[in-house]
Amino acid sequence: MLIQVLLSGIALGSIYGLVALGFAVVFKATDVFNFAQGMFVAFGAYFAVTTINLLGLPFPLAVAAIIAASAALGVVIHIVLIQPLSGRPMLSVIMLTIALSIVMRAVIEILYGVQSRTLSTPMPTGIFLVGDVRISQLHLVAAGVSWLCMAAFGAFFKFTSIGLLMRATADGHEAALVSGVNVKVMNRLAWAIGAGLAAIGGLFLGQLQIVSPELEHIGLLALPAVVIGGMQSIPGAIIGGLLVGLIEQLSATYISPKSSDILVYVLLLAILMVRPWGLFGQRELGRV
Amino acid sequence: MTATVLRSGAPRAAAPSPWRWLWWALAAAALLYLPILLTERQIFGFRLSNMMLLNIGLSQVNLMLITMLGALSLNYLTGSAGLISIGHAAFYAVGAMTAAITGSQWGWPFPLVLIAAGLGGALAGLLAGLPSLRVRGLYFVLSTFAVHYLVVFAFMEYQFKFFDVVGVPYKNATLGSWTLSTPMRWYFFLLPLVIVVYLLLRNSLRTREGRAMQAMRDHELAATANGIDVRFLRLKAFAFSSAIAAVGGALYAYYLSNVTSEFFGIQFAIQFIAMIIIGGMGSLPGAVVGAAVWLLLPSIITGLTAQAGDTTGLLRSVLVDHKPQLVQAIFGMLVIVLLIFAPWGIAGMATRLKARLTAWWSRS
Amino acid sequence: MQDQKTEQRGPLRKRLLAALAAGTLALSAQAQFESPSEGVYKDRVDWGVMMDLSGPASGSQGIWTNGFQAYVRSINEKGGVSGRRINVLAEDSRFNPAQDKINYEKLSTQTPVLAISGMGSSSSQVSLAPTIRGGKIPIVGTYTHTKPLSEPTSPLVYGGFCTYPEMAKAGVGYMTEKLKIKSPKVMVVSIESAGGVEYAQFIADAVKKYGGTSSLVTMKITAADVTPQVLEIIKQKPDFITIYGVGNTAILTMKAMHQYGLKIPAFGISYLMSPQIYAAIGPEAGPNYNVISCFTPGGADQSAGNKEMMAAADKYNHSAMKEDVNYVAGWVVGQMAVQALQLAGPQPTRARLVEAMSKGFTVNTNGLSAPIVFTPTDHDGPSRFRMIGYDYAAKKYVSFGEFADYEKYMK
Repeated sequence: MLIQVLLSGIALGSIYGLVALGFAVVFKATDVFNFAQGMFVAFGAYFAVTTINLLGLPFPLAVAAIIAASAALGVVIHIVLIQPLSGRPMLSVIMLTIALSIVMRAVIEILYGVQSRTLSTPMPTGIFLVGDVRISQLHLVAAGVSWLCMAAFGAFFKFTSIGLLMRATADGHEAALVSGVNVKVMNRLAWAIGAGLAAIGGLFLGQLQIVSPELEHIGLLALPAVVIGGMQSIPGAIIGGLLVGLIEQLSATYISPKSSDILVYVLLLAILMVRPWGLFGQRELGRV
Repeated sequence: MTATVLRSGAPRAAAPSPWRWLWWALAAAALLYLPILLTERQIFGFRLSNMMLLNIGLSQVNLMLITMLGALSLNYLTGSAGLISIGHAAFYAVGAMTAAITGSQWGWPFPLVLIAAGLGGALAGLLAGLPSLRVRGLYFVLSTFAVHYLVVFAFMEYQFKFFDVVGVPYKNATLGSWTLSTPMRWYFFLLPLVIVVYLLLRNSLRTREGRAMQAMRDHELAATANGIDVRFLRLKAFAFSSAIAAVGGALYAYYLSNVTSEFFGIQFAIQFIAMIIIGGMGSLPGAVVGAAVWLLLPSIITGLTAQAGDTTGLLRSVLVDHKPQLVQAIFGMLVIVLLIFAPWGIAGMATRLKARLTAWWSRS
Repeated sequence: MQDQKTEQRGPLRKRLLAALAAGTLALSAQAQFESPSEGVYKDRVDWGVMMDLSGPASGSQGIWTNGFQAYVRSINEKGGVSGRRINVLAEDSRFNPAQDKINYEKLSTQTPVLAISGMGSSSSQVSLAPTIRGGKIPIVGTYTHTKPLSEPTSPLVYGGFCTYPEMAKAGVGYMTEKLKIKSPKVMVVSIESAGGVEYAQFIADAVKKYGGTSSLVTMKITAADVTPQVLEIIKQKPDFITIYGVGNTAILTMKAMHQYGLKIPAFGISYLMSPQIYAAIGPEAGPNYNVISCFTPGGADQSAGNKEMMAAADKYNHSAMKEDVNYVAGWVVGQMAVQALQLAGPQPTRARLVEAMSKGFTVNTNGLSAPIVFTPTDHDGPSRFRMIGYDYAAKKYVSFGEFADYEKYMK
């Protein structure tokens, strides 16, 4: 019983971690707290419906198309909306992302109608039986892919030259500019990655339940995940996502379904009071 | 001779009082006549169409006034004391909950209920402001985000435990023997209240403490060095603004006569932030304008798109079948455009315009 | 003699002419009757709809509105009612209860309507109940049912969606008989909401009649995974379960139960029936899931009403919606509205409409539901049900029996 709950918590948490990772990349690079990340998740799910179910593309091609389209969307949004607002007070940028999520939701409802859509992919939907424990194959695939992506990005940031440049840019814009790094391109790349990761999360969430603009709310759970883990930390976002997933499932089983939301936010508050930079973040000096 | 005298600019300093008085008189007359206009929907016997009145009704204006309390208090907090909070919906909820306990459960008279709501809000604000002693900026925003969810959860538990699952009822909004039973009565109750709150906040900013707060907002280190207890001031500001928001919440509950925890969702919280940004942060008149725009603009847009008339095909599909989505999209885009091109909000634009006009006037 | 006859003919002719003149005057008066402050004009009647057309609930309420508008459109194409076409003014509640207060005022005085249909938000109903009950505008066909608005019975309010107590009785009765259980053990899987708690109570009452027991397990409305709830189901081992909530609730529950190898039959409330839900549940878990419904969705049988609705849906570009229970629900309320309007006569006013309806009337839906009977004391709405399932191979609905077959469970 406990193992079952833990497994489902890890599976869900992996997807949250993926979305949280996208969020953290965007935040680390461009200092933008993207409230529209949830809508990127929804867009990913809708892209999936279009390419797989409406256009009928073969699955690998469809996945590539989904990632490409989301990344393009992220870049466009950065160019059109985020760049003009660089240097503005944080509240304005937050409000911009909120307004953006309103517009994105309206666009989805106009293009696809208000009815929810079914996403049927070739991904396996059966179960593995290991002793007494049942593992959903879809959960396994979701968790596996999420971990793969997170590992891939970890490696990308640590070992490739572009990754190194992105980290450098995130740490100090002026220094990067002086060193001749094209900061704009780095920022756009960050937004592309953030949107792409969210889209993959949307693909899985859409398959796990149903595709509707309500996916936005699940995506928003990535916010506490990122804060708990540490907003400036990539591994922190992942761990934060896992924690949120586990807390949700454990509290829903052993306490009550209502309590899961509260516990996450209580933890959030506690972290902010005790260790605001998150479990894995770095203490920021002189932040006023 | 006369022309040169006029040009020397003296008249500007002694602003012609008659004009100011006339302006105030006109404004007062308009405000007093507005509810009648919106209810009767005719002027001197001439019936006005819905669009002439911009698709606005008196309920909307009342709700706008109630929400304006939140916008004003949030603006006070953010623009003046430098604290950003997404928790204002939570304080509305606190006010509603206090009103439920004192009014619906204990049966206190309406004015006392409002005072109790204010006190409850102040207490909640004090507690919610505690993280500000530890963190600032984005992290503080996130703490208010967490506080929001916790308070709404508490309201939901309270609602399920003490009341019908359908919601918490509020009855008897009476001041002495005068019952607030029609929109017009509500209007004549809310309007002076909002004006009083506005003046209260504005004067508070002009006091020594108020100036200290603005100093704190602008440069905390310097303020502290000058002997201003920054932390205490911050908590005080938070408590004050939350008290006003809580009163707004109690009024909201009584106006709707039934509320559930879902009324105070994150959308409700975000709208206050939107209002002060649209209006212009740090500007009390801006908060008024922002509240008006945020609440009245969607109706105006809806009315305008309805005028598009009978069309067919793709246009019909978008305009008729998806009208609400179109309204949302237009609205969101307007906010975005405003944020990009007018970062100081409408109040900022107005100030700039006024400055330009003044410069042009004194030059010519 | 001749003079006498002429004399008699004279006044007779005059009387005939007078009668003819009076008749023409009356007719033209009728044709020109209008009451703009109530939304009645010479050539059209304004009829209001208050529903969530955007936001989280729009997936079902938007479709309901389309169904309503489709039926009205089909009537308008045939000339309307009493020579007037019906103009639907649909106001969006935007999932914001305060918005409904604004919308009601708009439909009362700003763009006045003769009557309002829909009202999809429970909170708004409760909030507006005093105003509506004390006002003049009838609410013809509500989408959801709340006590403050509907009890005690008001001449102004008429229910338009499946009633919950009878839903519970029909569902529990059918499942108990079909599964041949003596004292059924039932579990209610619900979202955390007021309606869920109430529904669980109705189920408990229904189950008690058979000497069984029932329990409730809840989940968040935005739940992404229901492992905890399914583990609870495994623990309690009910004979069958019933699901209350939104589409996701049913989908997640059925899929999770399938994942755990549970073959417990389940039935959802009437709102949870659409091809999307069935497709998302999938052909492996789907056969265990049925819906107890007072409406017959498109294609579930071959009644005249069903065929008419399917044809209209295809014509108006609503083909994707016609199998959604919300579409047929809206269509049926459209029928309700039109039949009520016909009762009000050629010179309709709000008062006349209310008077005509409160005497009691029966809505004939041509097979899309059992006849909906309104009496002076019962305004609840459609209260006869049957179980409907889905045939994945044929990609169609399957209805189990007729509405009349479920009468025996209603005691």
